Amino acid sequence: MQTGQSREQFTVSIGPQHPALKEPANFLITVEGEIVTKAVVRLGYAHRGIEKATESRNWVQNLYLLERICGICSHIHATAYCLGVERLARVEAPPRAQALRVLVAEMERVHSHLLWLGVAAHEAGFDTLFMYSWRDRETIMDLLEALTGNRVNYSVNVLGGVKCDVSPGQIADIRAGLTYLEQRTHHYLDVVSSDAGFLQRTRGIGVMSRNQAEVLGTVGPTARASGVMRDIRIEAPYAAYGDYPVELILETAGDLEARFVVRINELFACYYLIRAVLDDLPAGELATRVPRRIKPAETVSRVEAPRGELFYFLKSNGSDMPERIRVRTPTICNMTSVVKLAVGHQLADVPMILAGVDPCFSCNDRMIVLEKDGQKRGVTWDALRQYGIAIYDGNSN
Amino acid sequence: MMETAAKKTAEALALAKEIATGWFWSLETEEPEPNRLDIRLTSAEELVTIVTALRVKRLGTLSAITGLDPGPEVEELEVLYHFCTGQAVITLRVPVPRQAAVVPTLSAIIPVAEGFERELQEMFGVDVSGLSRPEHLYLPDEWPKSLYPLRKGFDPALVRAGANGGM
Repeated sequence: MQTGQSREQFTVSIGPQHPALKEPANFLITVEGEIVTKAVVRLGYAHRGIEKATESRNWVQNLYLLERICGICSHIHATAYCLGVERLARVEAPPRAQALRVLVAEMERVHSHLLWLGVAAHEAGFDTLFMYSWRDRETIMDLLEALTGNRVNYSVNVLGGVKCDVSPGQIADIRAGLTYLEQRTHHYLDVVSSDAGFLQRTRGIGVMSRNQAEVLGTVGPTARASGVMRDIRIEAPYAAYGDYPVELILETAGDLEARFVVRINELFACYYLIRAVLDDLPAGELATRVPRRIKPAETVSRVEAPRGELFYFLKSNGSDMPERIRVRTPTICNMTSVVKLAVGHQLADVPMILAGVDPCFSCNDRMIVLEKDGQKRGVTWDALRQYGIAIYDGNSN
Repeated sequence: MMETAAKKTAEALALAKEIATGWFWSLETEEPEPNRLDIRLTSAEELVTIVTALRVKRLGTLSAITGLDPGPEVEELEVLYHFCTGQAVITLRVPVPRQAAVVPTLSAIIPVAEGFERELQEMFGVDVSGLSRPEHLYLPDEWPKSLYPLRKGFDPALVRAGANGGM
């Protein structure tokens, strides 16, 4: 049999169902044997029309809409939006509200990073780590639920402040939870940097140098794992981040292992920051009044989501509805690096490289009209509203 | 630390202003907020050279591209390129005629721009010339042509008509 003579190329379509993780995207991977020679991404399978929808809802309604862009980082979307709207309306949330925003944002980062750790471990075939990290993630989910009433869309923010306070009992619970998580996180750091089988899947895989990371425009932990000093909490502190110590976590190796180490070390920084907020929580009001109509203006609001810089552009027109809201999520910035990094790797490494940037497609995709052959699928807004009224009327009778 | 951050922001904005007004162009600039500088380009032709100047001076990273439609009665759309460094946000505001909306691609200089530009192209109908992959990134392949959802005059009923007729 002759080998090495023919150079046949083959294109493998991965997704949109379950492309390494349980969110939709399509990757067309061209391979020569097992080696990837080209990767193309197609998004939009979870696009829901949110940017367009904001233009026909008022400033308050949009808060609840934008919070639902992403389940994992719902709070950070609401925070970016609220900070932007407050700047447009020239009001400032009280210090206690700003500190509580930081508190919940960091708890959200803990849950997001633990969730990612599990997913990425699962991609590497290390399901024990996946199960342990998701079990431990329940600790922070329970704390978030106790604090806000919800596991996912916490709805902590309101325009002009926050709506829930933290009680002394909850502070004690959070501290106890952090003690447990800290101990577990030490174990995870040990596992991802010493388990030989796991390191075969991560060390030296998907290496991105600092220059490459900068040129490709990566953000968040993906950039910081390559030594790029980018963290909006430090570069351009928002909410109460200027008042508390935020540690910049950097690694220089730029491979998958470094992305694990950066995120796990960020967990320690989160615990430290959460304790600092709890130690020094300013007293006072939780919210201030924001006018219903906002004079024509434009502003930019940038925050550090668990996956990197989240960018909001807001434009008001004097009415109670925005003229335009632009949302740029971190995943689209990191996606460029995935298609570049995949080239030259084994096909089997692609899911790990994809999971390495912690992609979030719901964040990415924000717009579509759901319809097929002229028949509407799903529910109209009015029908949903009527349904809700009927349900609650039924319950109250 | 707060003072040094404010100083850095002021320096970045001053440099951007110098590029916009003192290099080859004498463009209108505006500071709508203390950390922001808006540079009004006169046409899309100036875009690539100004972006190159920003890159040469390592001034900011392209954080987003925003399309703005002031409404169907206005003849021009606006495309905003937001460059961020530290707290500073430098926005290049590019006017494009509604009937012949074209901007050059920046993806050869800034790879991450490709995603933003494809989104701009399919959602706003601003053609981005020179894109290596001009097809849809988010919208379905069978989405009706010349129907741009983020334009103010967008009518969802036309999608139904287009989708029924086209498929």
